[in-house]
Order: sequence, then C-alpha cells, then structure tokens
Amino acid sequence: MAASEPEEVSTQDPGAYVAQVMAEIEEEVRLRRASGDLPPKLERELDELFLAHSPVAGRGGDLTEALRMVDAATFIDPVVPVDSQRAAGAFVKKGMRSLLLWYLGWITHQISQFASAVSRALHIVDGRLKDLERKVEVQRVPHAGVVEFPVAHDPAAWWVTPAIGALTEVRGRILHAASGDGWLVRQINQAGGDAYGVDPRPDVVERGLLGISDLRGEDLADHLRATSSAGLGGIVLSGMVDGMGSGQREQLFNLIATRLAPGGTLVIHSVTLPTWEAPDAPYETDLSPGRPLRAETWRHVLKQSGYEATVQSGPDGADYLVTAVRATMSPPEPTLTQ
Amino acid sequence: MKVAFVTPRYGPQVMGGAETAARQLAEHLVSETEWEAEAYSTCALDPHTWADELEPGDSEINGVPVHRYTSAHGRLPDFYGLDGRLRLAPRLATLDQGRRWVDYNGPVSPQLVDAVCGSDADVIAFYPYLYHPTVAAIGRVKVPAVLHPAAHDEPALYLPVFRGTFGDADAFCFHTAAERLLVERTYPVAERPQIVLGLGVGESAGAGRPGVEVADLGERPYIVSVGRVDEHKGSKMLASYFATYKERHPGPLALVLVGPVSFDLDPHPDIVVTGIVSEADKWDIVCDALVAVSPSALESFSLVVLEAWVDRVPVIVNGTCGPTREHCERSGGGLWFTSYPEFEAVVDRLMSDGALRTTLGARGRAYVDRFYQWPVLIARYAEFLASVVARGRGTPGLFSSF
Repeated sequence: MAASEPEEVSTQDPGAYVAQVMAEIEEEVRLRRASGDLPPKLERELDELFLAHSPVAGRGGDLTEALRMVDAATFIDPVVPVDSQRAAGAFVKKGMRSLLLWYLGWITHQISQFASAVSRALHIVDGRLKDLERKVEVQRVPHAGVVEFPVAHDPAAWWVTPAIGALTEVRGRILHAASGDGWLVRQINQAGGDAYGVDPRPDVVERGLLGISDLRGEDLADHLRATSSAGLGGIVLSGMVDGMGSGQREQLFNLIATRLAPGGTLVIHSVTLPTWEAPDAPYETDLSPGRPLRAETWRHVLKQSGYEATVQSGPDGADYLVTAVRATMSPPEPTLTQ
Repeated sequence: MKVAFVTPRYGPQVMGGAETAARQLAEHLVSETEWEAEAYSTCALDPHTWADELEPGDSEINGVPVHRYTSAHGRLPDFYGLDGRLRLAPRLATLDQGRRWVDYNGPVSPQLVDAVCGSDADVIAFYPYLYHPTVAAIGRVKVPAVLHPAAHDEPALYLPVFRGTFGDADAFCFHTAAERLLVERTYPVAERPQIVLGLGVGESAGAGRPGVEVADLGERPYIVSVGRVDEHKGSKMLASYFATYKERHPGPLALVLVGPVSFDLDPHPDIVVTGIVSEADKWDIVCDALVAVSPSALESFSLVVLEAWVDRVPVIVNGTCGPTREHCERSGGGLWFTSYPEFEAVVDRLMSDGALRTTLGARGRAYVDRFYQWPVLIARYAEFLASVVARGRGTPGLFSSF
C-alpha cells in the first residue's frame, strides 16, 4: 500500500499545512463577511441548522463568533410567512397577518430595541476584554516547554538506574513526564513497574505511539487535573521543571500534592545552573521563563511540603536527581469528583 | 486468553458505529491473534426500540461465539420526555434521574447482565458507555473491565449516573485522542491504562465502474457524503448548505448522499440520494468524488473519512466534531467548516485547486497506512488486553451503584 505522494507530503508537517490552508480560508471568509456578500437573515438560518446538532461544548464557539450570532438574531421580523399547502391557507394567513401586524410590529420593535441594546453592551464588553487581553499579553509569563539535554535525557544516563530503583516498591501507576517517545516508560515497565507517559509535544509522542500503548500527547498540568485524587503511585519529572517560572512550578506541585498517593514517590531530574547556562545548552533554555533550582532548594521545598527527600549529584556535577517520598497518612476515600 | 465483548446489538446486520467496531475487533482478534473472543448481546437490531428481533441463544458469527438474551424491555415511551428535561442541564440531574434515564433508554436485559458476570473470559470489553448492559454490568464483573466509551460531546455524557460506569472501568480504549480528552475532561480517570486505537480500514473494494455511472450523474462532477442520511448526522444541514452554495455558484457540481435515509429531504436538482447501495457501488462512488464530506458533529471515529482517504479523496468535516477534525489535523488530509461562509470558502477552494485536492488526498492515505491497517492495529490491541489482564481487576462496584 505504498502511497505515491507529492513531494510536499513528506516534507511538510501535516498539521501546519492544513492550519495554513485554513488560515487562508478564514481570511477569505472575513473578507466576504465584510463585503456583506451573504444576507444576514440567510446566514442566521444556516447557523441555526449548524448549531441544531452541534456538540454541547462546541455551541457558540468563541465570544466574537457568539456575538456575530447575537447580532444576526437581533432583528425580530413581525412579517410572518404566509405560505400554505392548502389553497385558502395562504389567503387566511395573509388576512390574519394584516390584522395583527400593527400589534406584533409594536411588540417586536421593542424586543428588537432591547436586543440591540444588549448586543451593544456585549460589544463594549468584548472590546474591553480584547483590550485587557492585549495589555496582559505583554506581561504574560510564557509557559515553560520541555528542555532536553541529549546526554541527560537518554536511556544510558547515570540517573536512570537509581530513578527506577526508587520506584520498584511503588504501588500504583507511575507517570513519566516528559516521556518523549517512551524511552523511560519502557525501562520502568521492563523493571516490573506500571508506567505511562505524558509529553506536551504531540509530534514527539506520535513517534512512539505504535511501539508502546500508553503515551499521551498533552500538557502535564492538564493531565494531572484529569487524574483521580491520590491516583498515582509515582511521578518522574525530567526535562520539565528546569525552566519553569515560579508560578507554573507552584501550580504543578500543588497538583502533584493531591494526585500522588500518600507513600508515593516523586522523582525529579534536573540539570544544574552551569549546565543550563553553558554555551552548548539547547536553545530552549534561553526561551524558558525560569532557571533550574539548586538541589538543596528542592530538598528544602519538598521537606516543607511533607516529603522525605534525598539528593544525588551527577558524576560531573552537571545534573542531579531528587527522590522524594510523600508522607503516609490515612488513604483518602476514592472519589470521582474533580 | 479470552475476551468477551458486551454490546447492546451485535451482528453483520447492525450498521451502528460502536457495534460494528466491537464486531470487527472480535473477528480480527480471533483470526489474527492467539486470543479467543466471544460476544454477549441482546436480540435487538433497532436502536430506537430495542425490540427483540433475533433468536435468543448461542450462535457463531465469523468465528466468534455469540450469546444473545431477550430484553425485559426496550426503549420506553417515557424516555423521550425524561431525556428532553435532563438534556437541558444534565450535570444537575440526580443519580436517581440518571438511573431512570438509563433504564428507560434500554435495552434492559437482566439475563444478559447475569451472563456477562458469569463469563469465563479473562477480560470483558464493554462497548459503548451509554446503554444499560454496560452501566449495569461493569461494576459487577469479577475480571478486568475495558470500557470502549465511543463517547460524543452529548448531554448524556454528563449525567452523574455515568460516573460509576467510568469509575469502575479498569482500562479504556478510545477511538481518537479527541474522545480521550473529552472523557478526561468529564471524569478524572486519566491515570487508568488506556489506548487510542481506532479501527482498521481495508483496501478500496469498488467494482471499477465510474462513480458518475453508479450515481447516474452523466458527466457531472460531484462531492459525496456517505452514511446515514439523518438530521442528527448533519445531512439536512449539508443539503441546505449545498443548495445555498449552488444558488450562489451555479454550475454542474452535484452532491451525492449515500446511505439509508431517515428523514424527508426536499428534492433538489443538484442533490442525488442513492439510498442503501452495495459496498462495491459505495466505493466506486467515493473513488471518483472530488471531495467527501462528513457533516456530522457527533462522531466518535468516522470510518467513512478514512475510507475516502483510502481512495485519496480529500475530505471536509464538521469543525466542531473533535474526532474527525483530529483526523484532518493529524493527517493533513482534510479541511473543516463551522459555518456556512466557511463551508462555501472551503468548497470554492477545493473545487478550484486540484493540486490541493491531490495533496490532501495523499496525506490522508499516508495517515491511514500508518495508523489504521488491521495487522498493526490488532497487534496493539492484543498487547493492550494482555497488559490489562496482567494488572488485574480493581475493586468491582467501587463507584457504581446501579
């Protein structure tokens, strides 16, 4: 079944390619809408057909799209259609319409005025929200991505064996992030653990999907929010926390505190600051909002959070491994509330 | 090792997506791996009534033993009123209302539930999440339970009664990553073992007749939509969109709707409804189409999108349907629309740009070849089932109180 593909098929990212085409189409739609090409009443009727069987979460789209629909529905037409399948039906309906039009027109005029006022108010809110978004955007702390150092994030790296050793007694599933193509997940499973992986880079996960069953291409914090309380026996973080800003790091550790079972093990691998700042460090280090903590800082922070933490430094001081066991307490009742 | 599939309907006569998927997985497991498979189901064929139509008892379909049981009742008349009330705010429904919703929805077969619980299989695969057999049995089985939710973003998914159904599953098998994210956003089960599998697609099975001949279109170019011609599947919306498109863009282009018709579609000179056709005719029509359209917003996988790509036909999908849009974004094989102006612009672009159609079609084909060939897919599923058996059963009924 070898496909004879045009050259661009193999050279361009599929997602980026269709995103580019769709961006061109959206621009075309914007221009056509601006030209008043499609009568608003017709567009409203066609919108209603589309929305009738849309998914619950998909209805309305974003605020701008929702406002467009509000605008399209603002005018209420008092002129009732009089088509009828019966011969006299249209005549009767037309008569009733003539009789009632003065009354319906008065009512619908007021409703249309009210809807216009609401629509204007919503447009003002929309405008102010967009203004706020623009102002916040320049102050936003960027989300840290995965930063992998080729020597440290490798199956043969020095810290892999002690990390797996720390997880051998773990009860429950072990989450590795960032799991890449599943290289550490495979090793933990081979050692008898029950591991799975999460990585926010879908293209990297895609490479490992056919080889191993349980790899997820999603954001770590989003993933943890979707796990049950105390549902994880172990968590391994590598290439994840080094470049995090303090807010993102705090949010992550608050989530871990509720998702890691009492007695569960948290393993953190991080590079040291000199490695992070070395001239040959990956370019992502420059783009990250934060920088690695010192190993002792981790020990202190984790101890304050109720973990028993130990630190191992790498052979040449380039990186370190933190192993922390969460204090045991009465296991919480199983719950399915988020 | 043996897996038992539990579905409300089972058999080659059943055209529903979830049930067909269960049957295909069972048959491919039996024919291509060391696994044994059996199926537990009711005697129903019609998902609107769940009336007993087939004989109860044991039979075999394509190498898979099938155990059928009669239903105490199918869908009850009160279902529609209750559904209408609950769908407005499903999260606010009480557990008792949810239980009644499941009961009224049917099919309710206590014999089937008892038989599933007494199965000697090593693992039970429930398919889909929505119906009584799954809801009633998943908390009671003693061996590991894999849930194939086949979930859509529909009001029922948010009924609290399904917390137990998802909570009592030991593992999940999803059609797409979009379905997985939908379930994880709704129920905190992300740490459970799971696999995004989908379904396999075969080779193009046309008889070699020109599509225009099969659809009786003369020389007209056409776009095609395959599947149940049903309001809920977006067919009415597609027909209206296409009719509007033709008013604004006169020309020879036609729309061909292929599949069983379940609502009255206004006749239109540019819209051809074939009704049910043979597999060969279906493939021939798709093969010669300029574009295939999937207008449905509520798909959990959509085989018809992948089948179009087998023939390198580009697709247009409903942009609010997570799974079909995911197929397009991952493969680069299709475009989408979320309003009429987008539909018009997408059709315009595809009709005027042959190179784009070729590229999209080729990308779709490459995607199918990589992920949706049966040998690759069934080997992954068999490995997944073995890992679920090895982990063992959680605490049965911990969450479910049905």
